[in-house]
Amino acid sequence: MLKYTLQRILYMIFVFLIIVFMCFVLIRMLPQPLLPPNDPHTQVIEMRREALGYNEPYIVQFGLFLKNVVTKFDWGYSEKLYFGQEVWSIFIQKLPASMIVNLYSIVLSIPIGIALGIFAALKKNTWIDYTLSTLTMVVISVPSFVYALVVQYIFCYKLQLFPFLMKSGTDWFSWPMFVSVVPAVMSLSFGVIAGFTRTTRAELTEVLTSEFMLLARTKGLTKAQATIRHALRNCFVVIVPAIFGEFIGILGGSLIIERIFSIPGVGGLTLNAIHGLDYNIFILTTCFYTAIGLMASLVVDISYGFIDPRIRMGAKK
Amino acid sequence: MKKMKKPFALLMATLLAASTLAACGDNAETPEGTEQPADSGQQGEAETTPAPEEDGGAEEAASYIYKDSVSQLCTNWNPHTYQTNDDAYLMNGALTISQLYTTVYNDELHPVDGLEPYAGYVIVPEMAADFPTDVTEAVKAEHPEFGIPESATEGYAWTVPLRDDLKWDNGTVINAETFVESFKRLLDPKLINYRAADAYDGTYAIANAMEYSLSGQPAFKSFGEMGTTYADYIAEGHTDDEVYVDMNGFWGVTAATKYGFAPITDDTMVRDPAVEEGEDEDYVSAKYLYDNYLAAGQPYEPYAADYLGIVEYPYEAGYSYDNVGLYASGENELTFVFKNAFDGYYLMMYAMGTTWLVDPELYDSCLSEQETASGSVWSSTYCTSVETSRSYGPYKLSAYQTDKSMHLVRNENWFGYTDGNHKYVDPEDHETYDMWQTTEIDVQQIAEPTTNKTMFLAGQLMGYALQAEDFDQYRNSEYCYSTPAETVFFLILNGYKNVIEDREQAADFDQATTDIETITLNSFRRAAAVTFDRELMAATVSPARSGGYGLVGSVYIYDPESGATYRDTDQAKRALCKFYSVDESQYASLDEAADSITGYDPETAKELYTQAYNEALEAGYITDADGDGVCDQTITITYAISQDSDFMTKTIDFMNDSFDKATEGTPLYQKIRIVKSAPLGNDWSDQLRDGLVDTCLAGWTGSRMDPFGLTDTWTNSRSAYDAQWFDPSTVSMTVNVDGQDLTTTLDEWSKGLNGTMISIDGQDYNFGYGMVDTEVRLDILAEFESTLMGVYDYIPILQDGGMSLLSQQVYYVVEDYSPVMGRGGIQYMKYNYSESEWDEYVQSQNGQLQY
Repeated sequence: MLKYTLQRILYMIFVFLIIVFMCFVLIRMLPQPLLPPNDPHTQVIEMRREALGYNEPYIVQFGLFLKNVVTKFDWGYSEKLYFGQEVWSIFIQKLPASMIVNLYSIVLSIPIGIALGIFAALKKNTWIDYTLSTLTMVVISVPSFVYALVVQYIFCYKLQLFPFLMKSGTDWFSWPMFVSVVPAVMSLSFGVIAGFTRTTRAELTEVLTSEFMLLARTKGLTKAQATIRHALRNCFVVIVPAIFGEFIGILGGSLIIERIFSIPGVGGLTLNAIHGLDYNIFILTTCFYTAIGLMASLVVDISYGFIDPRIRMGAKK
Repeated sequence: MKKMKKPFALLMATLLAASTLAACGDNAETPEGTEQPADSGQQGEAETTPAPEEDGGAEEAASYIYKDSVSQLCTNWNPHTYQTNDDAYLMNGALTISQLYTTVYNDELHPVDGLEPYAGYVIVPEMAADFPTDVTEAVKAEHPEFGIPESATEGYAWTVPLRDDLKWDNGTVINAETFVESFKRLLDPKLINYRAADAYDGTYAIANAMEYSLSGQPAFKSFGEMGTTYADYIAEGHTDDEVYVDMNGFWGVTAATKYGFAPITDDTMVRDPAVEEGEDEDYVSAKYLYDNYLAAGQPYEPYAADYLGIVEYPYEAGYSYDNVGLYASGENELTFVFKNAFDGYYLMMYAMGTTWLVDPELYDSCLSEQETASGSVWSSTYCTSVETSRSYGPYKLSAYQTDKSMHLVRNENWFGYTDGNHKYVDPEDHETYDMWQTTEIDVQQIAEPTTNKTMFLAGQLMGYALQAEDFDQYRNSEYCYSTPAETVFFLILNGYKNVIEDREQAADFDQATTDIETITLNSFRRAAAVTFDRELMAATVSPARSGGYGLVGSVYIYDPESGATYRDTDQAKRALCKFYSVDESQYASLDEAADSITGYDPETAKELYTQAYNEALEAGYITDADGDGVCDQTITITYAISQDSDFMTKTIDFMNDSFDKATEGTPLYQKIRIVKSAPLGNDWSDQLRDGLVDTCLAGWTGSRMDPFGLTDTWTNSRSAYDAQWFDPSTVSMTVNVDGQDLTTTLDEWSKGLNGTMISIDGQDYNFGYGMVDTEVRLDILAEFESTLMGVYDYIPILQDGGMSLLSQQVYYVVEDYSPVMGRGGIQYMKYNYSESEWDEYVQSQNGQLQY
């Protein structure tokens, strides 16, 4: 297992460098926006691009980038979106807002989603199951920004229960901040709850009809005991990776929800960096999400072994 | 049941985590050194404002918060480096800055002879203690380094006395040296500041600012400037490696070419961003441009003198700032030396603009140097946070959160609150009031119009820009304000005959049922010009806009001293009467004649469509095989759309209906159809210029103070939509100047109006600003507009504008819109309710206001 893990980490670093280099070059190959002919700022822009080394070969630029990151953890400065500011500090400033909203959403929605899924599976082919399954499909089919607008209109405008926007400031765990993010959390949660309900119901339904469940019952376990000890554990082989996936989503933020509720998060950062050709921000976010994605896939792979002993890679061979 | 405890406990623990997280911690944590506003648009929190009292003494204690929203909050308001309008928010509103001079309404405190109060404006000193003094003669004698022309006697050098009570928000004194140090940093060659170009380039450049800012940088010098040609240069013994193409100027290619020029031997392909990837010439090199366009015998050879040249280092490295024309001539006196001569409005409001003022000490502490692949580059965090900002205007930043919100409070160190000059007389009650009643400004980033609207209706925002779906409900509201914009949207009609013929020859084109050539007939285009009821069209498809009748919009001001607009001049009115065939003699006055213009004349249109039918039949564009007097083909006009939308559908439907009404009873009845193109994205304008699509509503926005500058857009081949089929250098125009008829081409007139010396009948003329009487310039512009409209490539249709709702909490002292003053800005805004009163009022309306 250790050898397998080390091997995966080495591959991960290799893949990471390839992806980052490709992105590094591709973003620089995008054409610069046009300025009106004879605009005097063109000359200033060109002078600055020259000074920034953007006219040097890509490999030279990439080498310097790697050197600065590895030796000084210097990710450079923003040239367009947040001119003159260190991109790392901007990224770190914006990460908590995305995380807090998504964290609340996951903490709320995963237990509810799993609980509803279990309930629907246990009540399979009853009106409860049909109702939950239908609602799940409807909720999944509606994009989260629709909920956002509906929630904002009903709860913020008509009922005046919550503020329209997320509160300003960095007191992330204060009560006013919590209240201000409730509409965003609600908007995000509907889809997640429905997703986990559907996944859990589908897996549990299948497992509950397995022969080993029959065996468990014939051994004298109650239905609840058999479900929790045997059925649920099997379901988690599918559910746990989905939970990991949701946690990665935490860091990515939600572009639309952040726009609607004025959440100063990272949702649109990568996209804006591409539109604005802000190379350093784009590369930082690319590195971050690539690293997170690769690590998550490693963790998920390894977690299979812990959840299900049948999937321990290369164990004791 | 015991076995259930673990999972159940786990579930409960998870659920409780949310409330635990929410409960722990308090709201004391704020960004480092950043204060939080008392209220950032939140509901349910108690106001910190004390309740107003009944007597007048409560006025000072009351709080008046201007609650604004922006779709993108500023991220860098450093006056030396900002690049976008979003970043200019604090400067545009003069919130954290002041200028040397400003404009105020001509109220009873600032009367103007012959003008009703609030009908105009006056320029008054702001940071300056008095008006500028012309010192051209003295400076020319003492400072030859500034290069004031020998013949010049006035307009180049000016001294400005500064107030002696100027301070930054932290109380530090601002004097003449602060201005000089700021300007020096703006131009500093090592900082390569984006806004440096504003100071060293263009009409309002300061003497030698370019030499200082670009010292040590290479520059392109064309053969035309050198007075030579490519052939002569090579004959002198130079090689092609020494000859450069100005790739930026000639082809608009800036990326990946050092400074925008490259040797004609350089075959490095660089991306042309104006061309779609995969299309022809999406990548070009200097060699390619030379070989295919600028070399002898190639199509653009006549332009070779402008775009071929050499690269030199004209500005010596280490050039001293002592030679730059902005210096302190006293502790509180500045001297400006310009490259050109100015006076009046342009001098005080443009040339002496000092938005570049910075606190030198703080500025220097915000600089940092980064290592780059080609050396190093400097960056600055000045004006990117509360800590790195300094105000010298009425407000100062008190809180800022990136991409979220900012809050401003009064800058008590601003001289304007105590100098007694910032007052006005209310036109209604004739009482005198202080300007800037607003005590705080709160700005939230709100990207979604829907959120903006609901927050506005809940009383949490001061304004809401109406969206298309809002017009029916709110356009007649007493709180709705209409604001015109610069742009006139004109209908461009394709006249590129060669391409149209090629399109008709295409295999999939059915000439039996479709025709696209008739659109090129002058009679057809004249008919189209009177087919659309413009006001009805505006009301139907875009209610914030109004009918557009001329090519120059209604807000362009030709005389900044008086604020008079071009469209209100006799010349402009006569140009429209001439174009729309309105006989001035049939009306009591010229104004009446001009007012009668609707641009809609179905009877004339019918005559012209019938004439167009006959001409098209004769030319073989269309047929009438069965002799029933009805055109066999449908004249199909392809409308270039960048992307499909309801607006596009409504617009095209309206135009097709208008064609049907105008052709009823003619052989072309129901035979003219505008159809949408495929979505063309950014390529729509190129397709239009290349004649591959036939029409589009489009427009240009120019400088509001310079209608004359617009003429360049129609005569410059890089901007004109009809450059491929209309050559302004072949169309002559005659204007009577001082009793003498002068005739030259449209492009020459345009150059002359924009300050270039032109030659007519062997005599040199310059019709630029200040060079001739304004009436002469107006005569030329009106004749130019009339002549160009007579080509019928551009048919004016809509005047751009916007509509917005204003909160019931405030009102404008002057409701009428003025192109110079707008509606007065925040300084003239008055409050119906203080914050606490407003909260009570909104609650009494159940939190949902009616507009």
